[in-house]
Amino acid sequence: MSVLIKTLGFSFALTLVFTLVTYLLPQVEGEAPVEKDVDLNTLTMDDFIAMGEDLFNNKGTCTLCHKPPPIGRAPDIEGFDMVAVSIERLADERYQGDAKDAAGYILESMVAPSQYVVATWGKKGSNDTESPMPAIDKAPIELSAIEMDAIIAYLQAKDGNEVTVSLPLPEDAAVVADTGSAAPVDGGLPAPAATVDEALGKYACSSCHSMDSADTLVGPGLADVGARLSVEEIRESIVDPNAVITEGFPAAMPADFADKMTVKELDMIVKYLAEKQ
Amino acid sequence: MNRLFDSILPWGKALCWAVLVALLALGVAQAAGDDALSRISPVGMVQVEGEPPIEMPVAVEEEVVEPMVAPRPTRADYPNIGVSSRAIVWVLAQLHLFFAALVLAVPLFVLTIELLGVFTGDERYDSMAHEFMKISLTGFSITAIFGGSLALALFLLYPDFMAYMTHVFGAQLMVYAGLFFLESFFLYTYYYGWNAFRYGNLKWVHLTLGLLLNAAGMTIMVVSNSWATFMMAPSGVNEVGAVIGNIWEVMKGPLWNPINLHRFIANIAFGGAVVGAYAAFKFLSTNDPEKRAHYDWMGYTSNFIAILAFLPLPFAGYWLMAEIYAYSQQMGITAMGGILAWLFIVQAVLIGTILLAGNFYLWAGMSRTDGSERYKGLIKFIAFVLVVCFLIWVTPHTLILSASEIALLGGSHHHILGPLGIMPAKNVAVNLMLVVTFLSFQLYRRSDKVATVSWAPMGNALMVAIYVVAIANIIFLGVYYGYFTNTVYKVGSSVAQVASTLVVIVAGIVIDTLMFKNAKTLPSHWGRIPDRSQYALFALPIAFTWLMGLMGYVRSSVKTHWHVYTVMKDNSPDNFIPTIGYAGNMITIVTVLFLLCVLFMFWVANLSGTRQSKPIAVVEGGVA
Amino acid sequence: MGNRMQEQKSSITTTLLAAVISFVFVLALFYGLDHLVMSMQGLPLNADLSPAG
Repeated sequence: MSVLIKTLGFSFALTLVFTLVTYLLPQVEGEAPVEKDVDLNTLTMDDFIAMGEDLFNNKGTCTLCHKPPPIGRAPDIEGFDMVAVSIERLADERYQGDAKDAAGYILESMVAPSQYVVATWGKKGSNDTESPMPAIDKAPIELSAIEMDAIIAYLQAKDGNEVTVSLPLPEDAAVVADTGSAAPVDGGLPAPAATVDEALGKYACSSCHSMDSADTLVGPGLADVGARLSVEEIRESIVDPNAVITEGFPAAMPADFADKMTVKELDMIVKYLAEKQ
Repeated sequence: MNRLFDSILPWGKALCWAVLVALLALGVAQAAGDDALSRISPVGMVQVEGEPPIEMPVAVEEEVVEPMVAPRPTRADYPNIGVSSRAIVWVLAQLHLFFAALVLAVPLFVLTIELLGVFTGDERYDSMAHEFMKISLTGFSITAIFGGSLALALFLLYPDFMAYMTHVFGAQLMVYAGLFFLESFFLYTYYYGWNAFRYGNLKWVHLTLGLLLNAAGMTIMVVSNSWATFMMAPSGVNEVGAVIGNIWEVMKGPLWNPINLHRFIANIAFGGAVVGAYAAFKFLSTNDPEKRAHYDWMGYTSNFIAILAFLPLPFAGYWLMAEIYAYSQQMGITAMGGILAWLFIVQAVLIGTILLAGNFYLWAGMSRTDGSERYKGLIKFIAFVLVVCFLIWVTPHTLILSASEIALLGGSHHHILGPLGIMPAKNVAVNLMLVVTFLSFQLYRRSDKVATVSWAPMGNALMVAIYVVAIANIIFLGVYYGYFTNTVYKVGSSVAQVASTLVVIVAGIVIDTLMFKNAKTLPSHWGRIPDRSQYALFALPIAFTWLMGLMGYVRSSVKTHWHVYTVMKDNSPDNFIPTIGYAGNMITIVTVLFLLCVLFMFWVANLSGTRQSKPIAVVEGGVA
Repeated sequence: MGNRMQEQKSSITTTLLAAVISFVFVLALFYGLDHLVMSMQGLPLNADLSPAG
C-alpha cells in the first residue's frame, strides 16, 4: 500500500510541476477576430489610418511574417517606406502586374501575392515565382475591400506620405457589416464616449488630475499641459504613463488605457489636452 | 497433423466470417458511393445485325443537386448546457486518444517481442508478451467507452459541425465501424488463443492473428486521423466546403501522412512507457528476488521500447511542422511564433524530463553489471551536457505578438537571453541531447560485454571520432548558418544537423552490432538496481501523457477560430485559444483521470490471477 | 625488457594511428554529408562551406 501511495504521490507531484510551468508563462488568450462596427458617417482619415494599423497588427495577422530581420519571414513592411519601395518595384523589369501606383501595388500584393515576389522571399524551390503569402481577401483572413483600403492608408501615412485612398462612403457600410459573420459578444465593452467630457468622465481623469488649475492632486494639474508637452508626449503619457514620470510623482497612473480607450477617445483627449495652454 | 487441422478449422471458419463481414462493410460503402443510375443501367447493348445501334432514349433527368456547403452556424446554434462544451469534448477526446494510443501500441510491440521469443527460443519473451497483452486488455473497452462518449458529446454539443463532417466523410464512417468488428475479433482470438497456439506451426497461426490485429488497429488509426487532418487542412472540398472530390481525395490531405507517422511512432513510445510503469510498480511491491528480476527486466525492456521509439519522434515532428508551413505559412507561424510559441517551452521541460529520466534509468541500470565501472566516468560529462542543453532549450525566445500582448509581456525580445532563445541554439541543444542520450544507451549496452574482435581498437577510435566530429558539426551548423547567413540556409542547416544525429545513431548501432558479435559477456544481475531508479519509469509515462495532451492543444489550436480551417468558422463561445494556464489545468485533469483509469486497468488485470480461498465453515454452538 | 617496451610503443603508435585515420575519415564523411544534405535542399555550398547561392 505504501508503494501505491509513494508512486501515486510522485506521479501527482510531477503533474503539478508541469502545471506550474504553464503558470509561470505569460497568460495570453488568442481571441477570434471580433468584427468592429465602424461608424462611417463620422469616420475621419485619422480614424481610418488607425483602423488600418489595428488591422495590420491584429486581424490581418500581417506581423506574423512581416517583421524585422533576422526573424522575419517576409519583407519588413513596417521598417520600409512602402510608397518609395512600391515605386521601385513597379519599375523593376520583373514586375508583370497591372498596378500603376503605390496604392495599386500594395492592394495587388494583398489580393494576388504571387503577382510579384520580392527576390529571395519566394516559396522554396519556386525561384521567386510563387509567394508563401495567402491572399488576404480569402479565408482564413478575409479582409474586406474597405479594410484593405485602411491598411493601404496606414502604410502610406506611417512614413508621412500622402494618403491616396479615399474614405469609404456610408453606403459601403453594408459591405463591412457583411464580412462580420462572428456574432457580437454580448455584455461586451461599454459604449465608446462621444465627447471629450464623456471620455474624461469615463476614464475618471479628474479624480487624480485637476483639469482647470496647476494644483497637484494625485498627479500633476493639467491646466497648462499643452504648453509643457507636445501632442506626442501627451499621447505617450496616456498610453505608456510610466515611460516618463513628472519628477516627484509616484507611478500611480493606470497603464492599461492603451487597451481600454478607443482610438477616437484617445484622440479626443489628446487634442483637448494639447489645447490647454 | 490431424490435431492441427482440428484446432485450425474453427478458427478458419471464424476467419472466413470476419472477412465476409469486412467485404460486406466495404460493399455497403461502395454502393453508397455509386450513383443510382450506374447501378440500374443495362449491362449489355441491343443491336440488330446490319443496322446501326439503336439509340435508346435514356431519360436523363439532370437532377441539379446543390452540393452541401459548410454550414455557418451562429452562436445561438450551439447548444448551451451551462458548462464549456469545449472542455467536455477536450477531456473525452483526450482520454479516448490516450487509451487508443495505448491499445494500438501494445499489440505492436507484443507481436515484436513474441517474434523475438520465437527466434531466440527464450520463453521469457513469450510470457512477457502475454503479460503485456493481459494488462492492456481492459484498455480496449475503455477506449471504446470514451470513443462512444466523445461521439455522443460531439453530436450533442456541435450538431452543425458534426452534420457537416458526416456529410463529408459519409460511408467512410461505416467502414470505420466495420473495422471495429475485425479489431475485436483478432484481439480476442489473439489474446485467448495465446496458450492454445503456443508451439510449432500453431505459433505461426497465432503470430498471423497478431499481425492482422495490428493491421486492423493501424487502419482504424489512419482512418480517424483523416478527420483531424481534414479539420486542419481540408482537401477534396472547395472554398465554401462543398465536397468536390471523392473520399480518397478528402482523406489524403497534406497533413495526413505526417500525422499518421507521428502518431504511429509516438504511440509506441507511449505504450512502452505505460507498461514500464506497471513493471516498476510490481518491482517495488515485491521482495521476492525472482519476481524482482523478472519485473526489472520487464521495466528495462519497456523503457528500451519507449526511448527507442522516442528518439526518431522529433524528426517525424519536424516533417509534420514542415508540411504545416508548406500548407499555410500562417498556420505554421501561429503554432511556432504566435502565442502558442510559449508552449514549446513547456514542451522543452517535458522532453527534458523524459530524456533525463531515460538517461538516469540507464545509468542506474549499470549497477546490474560488473563491467560498467569502465564507463562510469563518462556519466558526469553526459549529465553536464544534458543539463546545459536543457537550459538553452527552455530559454524563452522572441515572440510575435499583437500590440497588447507586447505590452503585457513588456517587450518581445529578451535582453540577455535573446541570442540563446532563437531556433538555431535550440536546434543545437536538442540534437546534442539526443546524441548524448544515445551515448548513454550505447554505454549501457556495452557495459556487460568485452569485444573480442581484432579490430576493436579501430572500431572504438572510429566511434569516438564520430561522436567528436558529429558534435562539432552540429554546433558549427547551428552557429554558423544560424547566426551568420540568411534564413533559408538557417532552416536548411537544421536538416543537416538532424542528419548528423542520425549518422551517430546508425553508425553506433552498426559498429556495436559488428564489434560485439561473439563478445565475452560479463555477469549481469537482473533485479540489482536501486529502488529510486524505478521512479524514472513513473516519470516517463507521466511526462509522455502530459506531452501528448499539450501537443493536442497546439494541434487543435492552430486552426484558431475555425472548425474546419478556411471552410467552416467556429462561432461557438469557445472559439478563442485558451491561455496556457487554462490548458495546463485541462491537461493535468486528463492526465490524472488517465492515471486513475490505467490503475483500474492494471487492477482488473491482476484480479484475474487472484483466487479467494474457500472460507472454512465455522461451526457455531458446537453442533456439527 | 626492451622488447616489451618496443611492443608497448608500437601499440601506442597503432592506437594513435587508428585515432588519426578514423578522425580524418569521419571529418571527410561529415564534410560530404553537409554538402550533400544542403545541396539536396537546393542550397549549394562553397568548398569552405559558406553559402554559394
